[in-house]
Amino acid sequence: MEKFMATDKLMTASEAIQCFVSDGDSFVFANCLYCMPLALTHELIRQKRRNLMCFQQGGIEEIDQLVESEVIDRLVLAYNFRSGGIRLVSPLDRAIKERGLLVEEMTNHTLLSMMKAGAMGYPFIPVMGGIRVTDVVKRQGFLKGDRFAEVEDPFSGKPVLVVKGYNPDFALIHVQRADRAGNGQLWGAMINSKWAALASRRVILSAEQIVDSDVIKSSPHLTIVPAHKVAAVVHAPWGAHPSEVAGHYDYDMLFRVLFFASSSSAEGLRGWIDEWIHGVPDREAYIEQYKKKFGADTLSELLPKRFESTPADYGFPFTRVWNESDYSNQLGMSMDEFVAMLDEKGVLIDGG
Amino acid sequence: MAVKYTIDEMIVSRASKEIKDNEMVVIGQGIPMAAGVLARATHAPNSVILTEAGIYGMDPFKVPLHIADVSCTKGFTYSCDMVDIFTTVVNRGYVDVTFLGVGQIDKFGNMNSSYIGDPDNFVIRMMGAGGAPEFVGYANRAVLTMRGGEFVEKLDYFTSPGYVEGGDSRYEAGMPEGSGPKVLITTKGVFRFDDDSKEMYLAGLHPNVTVEEIQKDVPWDLKITDSLETTALPTIDEIDIIRRFSPEISMGRKLQIETIGARVGRLFAKIAEEQAKGE
Repeated sequence: MEKFMATDKLMTASEAIQCFVSDGDSFVFANCLYCMPLALTHELIRQKRRNLMCFQQGGIEEIDQLVESEVIDRLVLAYNFRSGGIRLVSPLDRAIKERGLLVEEMTNHTLLSMMKAGAMGYPFIPVMGGIRVTDVVKRQGFLKGDRFAEVEDPFSGKPVLVVKGYNPDFALIHVQRADRAGNGQLWGAMINSKWAALASRRVILSAEQIVDSDVIKSSPHLTIVPAHKVAAVVHAPWGAHPSEVAGHYDYDMLFRVLFFASSSSAEGLRGWIDEWIHGVPDREAYIEQYKKKFGADTLSELLPKRFESTPADYGFPFTRVWNESDYSNQLGMSMDEFVAMLDEKGVLIDGG
Repeated sequence: MAVKYTIDEMIVSRASKEIKDNEMVVIGQGIPMAAGVLARATHAPNSVILTEAGIYGMDPFKVPLHIADVSCTKGFTYSCDMVDIFTTVVNRGYVDVTFLGVGQIDKFGNMNSSYIGDPDNFVIRMMGAGGAPEFVGYANRAVLTMRGGEFVEKLDYFTSPGYVEGGDSRYEAGMPEGSGPKVLITTKGVFRFDDDSKEMYLAGLHPNVTVEEIQKDVPWDLKITDSLETTALPTIDEIDIIRRFSPEISMGRKLQIETIGARVGRLFAKIAEEQAKGE
């Protein structure tokens, strides 16, 4: 498995998608509903990527944007938000019916379990078997038999429903902060992020903030994806807008209403995509366009009040074996005395 | 003074009664969340609310936009992930009650939230399964609410298991003994499930609703209890709590779209006007 050991992976969203995405790849969203990696998603659309296979637990607007832009042709999902309720035809409905988008229906638990098994390097993992009676298990989509199976519990002999482990080619994730090596820290709703990111072969990560590695070292419990998984680090302030990111901004209802209203027709949605994705080169320009169109004040209304986590104190005496005068309390001798002792005991080897 | 309430407030009030104190409750957005919050504000202050997004012990002050919305609560007690919730909490049997909004439902409480029409040639793909199948399958009790859904003889798609084919078939399929949907609350009445056959029956009527009106919506020969209850009206205090928590839920989806649409329209107009002045 390729691991990414470079210490500085900072690049633009455009470079990241260019370098690490190929047409035909499979990928997983490593955020769901919350803190959506929309700056990265929009770059997939801008670069006109084709024939991608997508895993997502629950779409809110990204799925509709991707299917309308014909970036994905296969979709494994459990849920997709319907802005118009169940009365209006959604972009996803249109893509399935008119463009032959292939959809595989899963439940939240079983889809994420596919990722968890893949992340752990296991071929399959047990899931809650009661759902074997449902059409989610009984009907097959394009993955055919490569989702569910019944095996025998070797200890009790009872039937166990399992799902197959998957390792998508890449994952897209947006986080609050990361260092240049790609140690990504996320807090708020943890939902699918850890298992989706770890299941993938490479992670493309964007962050609100790029921080010094010391920040990461003082809060390792917040690291959700370690650097060796991460191929690219993108600095993307407002990178999840209009979804919400704790400590950075609230969801933008006004903008969402505009999007959902546009997506009630194919023409409307294409107009929205032209304006907010193809009409801007990157996230910075998108935010500039937003400010120009709706006013900087509208954007600032989304800024948070502070509600800081009580810091976890990782402190110890941090006493080193040798103090500043090269004396060790533990051994009761100085470094010179230590070397002399080694010599005297005959354990030092003369290297010539 | 007569109490004036909306039908959604009635459903929330009635649903909140299904939560007891010190219970663990899994809920998503919408009517169920309002019911959970109302229960915590009244008779069940120590009940614990969690969502499948790994937000456990939340204390929402407004209705979440979705299951992963942490902006509606100032903190929560346990931050974990979705696999943790389904396995260590739900599968281990810690969940007392789960709530679910219904798209289609059959006489054994099985539900469809996936497709309207033949799934291979559907009219609408609804939201999909989400977390519903495992929640309804494994929570001790499921409380169902139906706002715009329908009773059907046969589901277009079987998303979430109620009592499957009735009798003990649910438990034979692997779901925990005794678990299952306990009550369905609609805009017209309250339904329960027979202890043995597990078939749904009419247990109560909302005020001013007749049995005939309900029978019209149900395509099978609906069984009716001998002792039909009349749903209690929401109290003034309850209505106040619901409206302060979520006026969106009080007004219902149609009015909500209308009101928010109008508000956004005015905002856009104001922005355009200011920009015209600036130029």
